Amino acid sequence: MPTINLRGAQKNYGVNSANAVSDLDLEIRDGEFMCLLGPSGCGKTTTLRMIAGLENLSGGEIRVGDRVVDCVSGGVFVPPEKREMGLVFQSYALWPHLTIERNTDFGLRLRKLPKAEREERVERVMQALDIAKYRDRYPSQLSGGQQQRVALARMLAINPGVLLLDEPLSNLDARLRLEMRAELKRLHKEFKTTIVFVTHDQWEAMTLATTIAVMNEGTLQQIGTPNDIYDRPANRFVAEFVGSPPINILDFGDPGTSDVTDKAEAYLAAHLPGLRSIGSVGIRPEAIGYAARTEDVPEGSFSGETTVTGVLPTGGNWILELRTDNHTLFLTTHVPPRVEQGARVLFFAPPEALHVFDADGRRIAEADDRLRSTATYN
Amino acid sequence: MALLSESAKAVAAANGPAAPTAWQAWRYRLKVALREPTTLIGVLTALLFTYLIVVPIISIVLDAARVQFGHERRLSKDVGEFTLYYLDRVLFSPVSADLFWRPLLNTLSVAMGAILLSLVIGTVLAWLISRTDMFGRRWFATALIVPYMLPAWTFALAWTTLFKNRTVGGQPGWLEAVGLTPPDWLAYGRFPITIILALHYTPFVILLFGSALRRFDSQLEDSARILGARHHQVALQIILPLMRPALLSSMVLIFAKCLGEFGVPYVLGLPVKFEVLSTSLFRSIASRQTGVAGVIAGSIMLIGIITLLIDARLVREARRFVTIGSKGSMDRQSRLGRMRLPAAGFAATVFLMSVGLPLLTLFLSTIMKLPARFTLDNFTLDYWIGRDLDTVALKTGILLSPDLWAAAKNTLTIVGLASVTSGILGLLVGYVVIRTPVRLLSVYLRQVTFLPYLVPGIAFAAAYLSLFAVPRGPMPALYGTVVILVLALIADQMPYASRAGISAMTQLGKDPEEAAQIAGAGWLRRMTSIVIPIQKGSLVTGVLLPFISGIKGLSLFVILAVPSTDVLTTYSLRLVDYHYTQAANAVVLIIAAIAYLGTLITQKLTRTNLAEGLGS
Repeated sequence: MPTINLRGAQKNYGVNSANAVSDLDLEIRDGEFMCLLGPSGCGKTTTLRMIAGLENLSGGEIRVGDRVVDCVSGGVFVPPEKREMGLVFQSYALWPHLTIERNTDFGLRLRKLPKAEREERVERVMQALDIAKYRDRYPSQLSGGQQQRVALARMLAINPGVLLLDEPLSNLDARLRLEMRAELKRLHKEFKTTIVFVTHDQWEAMTLATTIAVMNEGTLQQIGTPNDIYDRPANRFVAEFVGSPPINILDFGDPGTSDVTDKAEAYLAAHLPGLRSIGSVGIRPEAIGYAARTEDVPEGSFSGETTVTGVLPTGGNWILELRTDNHTLFLTTHVPPRVEQGARVLFFAPPEALHVFDADGRRIAEADDRLRSTATYN
Repeated sequence: MALLSESAKAVAAANGPAAPTAWQAWRYRLKVALREPTTLIGVLTALLFTYLIVVPIISIVLDAARVQFGHERRLSKDVGEFTLYYLDRVLFSPVSADLFWRPLLNTLSVAMGAILLSLVIGTVLAWLISRTDMFGRRWFATALIVPYMLPAWTFALAWTTLFKNRTVGGQPGWLEAVGLTPPDWLAYGRFPITIILALHYTPFVILLFGSALRRFDSQLEDSARILGARHHQVALQIILPLMRPALLSSMVLIFAKCLGEFGVPYVLGLPVKFEVLSTSLFRSIASRQTGVAGVIAGSIMLIGIITLLIDARLVREARRFVTIGSKGSMDRQSRLGRMRLPAAGFAATVFLMSVGLPLLTLFLSTIMKLPARFTLDNFTLDYWIGRDLDTVALKTGILLSPDLWAAAKNTLTIVGLASVTSGILGLLVGYVVIRTPVRLLSVYLRQVTFLPYLVPGIAFAAAYLSLFAVPRGPMPALYGTVVILVLALIADQMPYASRAGISAMTQLGKDPEEAAQIAGAGWLRRMTSIVIPIQKGSLVTGVLLPFISGIKGLSLFVILAVPSTDVLTTYSLRLVDYHYTQAANAVVLIIAAIAYLGTLITQKLTRTNLAEGLGS
């Protein structure tokens, strides 16, 4: 499948309503496993449906390779049935009046393939997804997980160049979800399809995708590898959306209102001389350490005094809730904590763990680079 | 120049497409909208229904304000010119009392009486059926709905069979025959009409009130009781206020139905000149007073529309009472104790009065030579299957009469054709309403197909007569043909058909069809292999329901049918007019049997309780 290109794609439902998707540029390369990640209502499903052709554009264009499949100003619209893509719906959308085998066979019949080939391909995907034993049943006789497999098989049978998945795992229980994740990764390898996957679940995105596109309020926030997204979030939205417990943000609003932000400001002023207009700084919970005594705090790290107000075990890991004057910080650790609730401790974070954002919430790349080089000096 | 345009292209390519101009955006939208036949079908059906529903209504309203043929001299204006003469005649002239005001008062009083009576009987029965341990409550739940499945004037005929007195010629009623002359007030007019309409529409109350009672969250009751409320306090302060929307709604619906009811007042009102709006309209049409008919039909429509707007408001209001779902809506029953038997007795009495007695009377009347004489030699099957009878016309039993079979054939073709068409159109409308990207089209189709619901059948028929009685444009005069009946019936059934179609398509959702689209299926393919197979059941219902209601329908046919296009209902009415009581009763029994069996078959086929789809 050639590269799919969205350029300036836009969607609004009605003249006066806000854009569901605005000015979206997105490139999906052959063989990629791309996740569209974002909170509900962020436009990710609309984007997927625009790629499939189930939703027409309000502006911009979509190309598949050199072929324009959808373009408002060019007056081009290729209907979904001519785009040769596969889409697995959140509701699975199995046809209730057809057996599992006929459901799987539907697309092949439309393509008027010879019977022998049809049977062979149906057999192959049904085997691959382990649903061959249900071939004569109707969808209503299957469990959610089995229906999910049929929905996948139905689309894989036509061997689409790109497989679009709309939150396909959200209706499954936790165990099945894990199994299906592994299954999807295996299928991606086996069938060598490009996959575009919509989810609001960051772990799903992190574990599956080769590329993640984070969206919010109809606009693309960041696109990159899972590590990029996590380690170098392009803005505060991405930083706060990805990660659990969420990143700790110290907002440099009015100086003097909070001891810990003042400290952070002073720390950054010292480490990043000449850098103005810092709006906030973020520290991931797992990058924060704590110590009982000042001498145990690593030199050069950002630190401060705090009170432990909560110790929350999560089974194998612990979340510590730390309270400094009027800020709450969370830190996570996999070492059993040696402190009680109410203890006074020092928290600390190495300079390379600080994510610096400007007043508009955008990442200041220069600051991150300089802080990381500081770290290597030490 | 060339260089410039090259670089301009490069810039455009680098920046992605430029923002579309308004024209480009419009052209694109049009292309998307016309890509599939959905919008085209939508536009075509919208045009069709505009012609079949909106134009007739406009036509009759215009008739009311234009000089009609034959009045040029009197009004010294040409035919078709604007005039207020008819409005004045119906509303203000000396004859207005006979034409409009008295019929209006009669309509209102009969409707109010019927509403009160059916509310009293209906609420008690609804409560007994849904919330008590009355004997045989399951059986009664179905049995007490039967009156609604039968044509209302079945009861009117049964009533005349029993109570007809010497005011009217023909075979005497049973009471008259045994020497007890019933007074006119008992035999004809307001009293019997009110009673019959009340019995006929009681199922409405039982269903609407009963379902509200069943959905009622018994935790609301329990909370009141825990706070110390007694039984009657709970009933008056908690249950009744919450039931008010259901009660008001059934009142309004009964009123709307009474407004259009023709058969009952025609059979029972005529002998004593007791007129309601529908019979007054019928008389104006029969005497070719087109302008006057226009005014009366317009008034009936107006009252109908106002009534149903009130209902829509009540339904909205009722939503305020929707309590957040809970597990409390369990089927809790009150124990009747000693009252168990009397309660069942009451339900049985209502059943006997509203189903058993009328049907038995009708049936006996068709196998008895002389009324009310229960001797063996008085019984005969001649009226059903006799030959060479000693009568002026209709010399054979009804089953051997070619007229009956012609009427039956007409009924089947006309009603059959109309219901198949409206069933299919209903599904199409549902499809377009849910799927079209053109919102305006969707809204218009939804509204226009609902419009006939606001217009009582008799007024709608008058509107058809006004539009199609004379040739207009390419359309020849349709009066007297089967076509006008089929068209009117289709239009009349569209509210139910389209509502069924819309709800079926809403339930189906977009996903199965979109999945087929993704798999590569074009529109036609999706319709034939996905949408129609899945919607098979609702298509069957969408055809059968209009069929049943068409079979027992009278008001449309009575205006639009002529002897050559007689259907069973008009045929039996004609027999009533000729005083062939036994034959008329036999035909009505046949109609009732078809309607009842049809309802049962539909219920079996769709495994639904038709009672819930009531209102059709």
